[in-house]
Amino acid sequence: MLIQPSINILVVENDITILQRCRELLLDEGHKVRTAECIEEALDIVQKQPGDVDIMLLSLELPGWAHMTLIETLQKARREILIMTMSANCGEEAIEAMQAGAYDCIQKTFMADRFRIKINRAIEAFRLRRQLDLLTRQRQAEFTRVRQDANLYAILQSFSDALVVTDWQTNIVLFNPAAAGLFDLTEETALGHPVSVFIKSDELLSFFIRAIKSDSSLAMLMADEEPVVKVGNKNLRVHVFSVKNEGGTVIGAVALFHDVTKVSAMDKLRDDFLSMVSHELKAPLSSLLMQISVILDGLAGDLSPKQTDLLGKAKEKTKGMITLVNDILDYRRIQEGKSIQKIESLDLAKILQRTVELMRLSAEEKGIKMTCEVAEGLPSFNGDRGGLEVIFINLISNAIKYTQQGGHVSVSLNKAGKDIRFKVVDTGIGIPPEDIDRVFEKFYRIKTDETRSISGSGLGLSIVKGIVEAHNSTIFMESPPGQGTTFIVSLPVEE
Amino acid sequence: MKKVLLVDDDVDFCEATKLLLDSKGYEVVLAYDGKEGLGKVRAEKPDLVILDVMMPEMNGYDVCVVLKADAELKKIPVILLTAVDQAFFKTTYTRAMGLMTEADDYIAKPVEPGELVKRVEDLLSKK
Repeated sequence: MLIQPSINILVVENDITILQRCRELLLDEGHKVRTAECIEEALDIVQKQPGDVDIMLLSLELPGWAHMTLIETLQKARREILIMTMSANCGEEAIEAMQAGAYDCIQKTFMADRFRIKINRAIEAFRLRRQLDLLTRQRQAEFTRVRQDANLYAILQSFSDALVVTDWQTNIVLFNPAAAGLFDLTEETALGHPVSVFIKSDELLSFFIRAIKSDSSLAMLMADEEPVVKVGNKNLRVHVFSVKNEGGTVIGAVALFHDVTKVSAMDKLRDDFLSMVSHELKAPLSSLLMQISVILDGLAGDLSPKQTDLLGKAKEKTKGMITLVNDILDYRRIQEGKSIQKIESLDLAKILQRTVELMRLSAEEKGIKMTCEVAEGLPSFNGDRGGLEVIFINLISNAIKYTQQGGHVSVSLNKAGKDIRFKVVDTGIGIPPEDIDRVFEKFYRIKTDETRSISGSGLGLSIVKGIVEAHNSTIFMESPPGQGTTFIVSLPVEE
Repeated sequence: MKKVLLVDDDVDFCEATKLLLDSKGYEVVLAYDGKEGLGKVRAEKPDLVILDVMMPEMNGYDVCVVLKADAELKKIPVILLTAVDQAFFKTTYTRAMGLMTEADDYIAKPVEPGELVKRVEDLLSKK
């Protein structure tokens, strides 16, 4: 069993009889006891030998002193001392004393048992409080060590990102000049003070609290989200991590603020640039496509078989470039999480039938039979119209692209349990087993003799996957050797 | 013979598209910017207008707004044509601009020749 050090108790009481009674009772319990008959004497002891007093037993009936002021003063100067009050009836004045910081009040009737219970509880509280202080000091000491490590400190100081470290009670223990400038921190005003005084954003504060309360995995999760917070006129990307000591105990949180104000401006510039490029690329490509098509159709004079062959290839290449431009733009949007632009109630059957009509032309040109089956009375689906169109177009055009002349592409839309199921089955060249895991990767294209002549960006399926996931949906595919490929998208219908 | 007015600042595109629509039996009139286009609508009274969006002088949206505000001209079906980012066009345009301009159809460039012919036929048969 742990041997607890004995407790030093200072009894402050002007009634000598009571003072003696207290002293006897406490000595019987094995405590060290000192006495004072007036406040001045008590203050003298506390100030000269601060470590010698753990608990003060203070009479509320001493003449000439405002007790509350005394208790408050003592609490501020000697927080480690636990104050118990004594009074004749433990009335209003006892409550006020407790509000000022006293732990409890003992009635001066001195029934031995009651007195002992109250004193023991005070001692318990005192020990807990001391342990807590010790723990806090220990944890703060670990940060102090960082401050004292000159090299480490210099590194932190020269960080261009703002850095703020708090202890486990979110008091600031460390910050660098970048943070000082950002949040108006100085050594005198900030160190040891709650971070909430300087960082006014509730959102930011919640990151600190979550980092301290959570385990590391959650803290990592937060870093993944990379929230951007506006402070003043700056956009800051925030990372908050919990700080652990060697034993794995969370001793605080560290926050990094990376100024992305300029990046945000760059994002806008890039968007404008891409829109411009998009237009400048697509306008000539559309002329090219139209010109080649009308020549191929014989509208500009008769063609020799060789000319038809070469122009046909030129047309395919042009279409490939158009798809590439569209894919790059789609991909950018999905990366930016904009694949869902607006959720609305959609009639998928109608959208699919329209898409199939659009694609039918290119299937027929290639000599592929396309069928479309849509179940009656499908429920409406909440999703983004543009996104769903892209899913349909990309999967169907892939099926057409990888199916040879005389092949068959069948498209269907059905209810399967709570989901609407979109299915594309082709009789095409299929996907080699070793490539199946990688088809959803961006820029991944299967390289075989059969695919060499087929153009594509390798983005189509990764775009589809992005949109499917943004709709909380799943995509599944199978491609048994020599039996074509099947893609199934399950779109959950909300109740 | 139905008359189609094509307004686009891309001369090459106009030339090729005229060949295509000629072959389908339409009389094709060309204009190369918004203002000229508007003038030709009034002078030629076409059965259908294909309007590019990004054009000098007056853009396609504005031309469309003017057409649809005119009691006599608003019956002429209008197809808007644009090379602006496809998905952006579909979602943003059709809801915001489409309501304002009341275009009858829109096509994102680059357009498949067969698709363009089909849209033109559809609109003219509806009329």
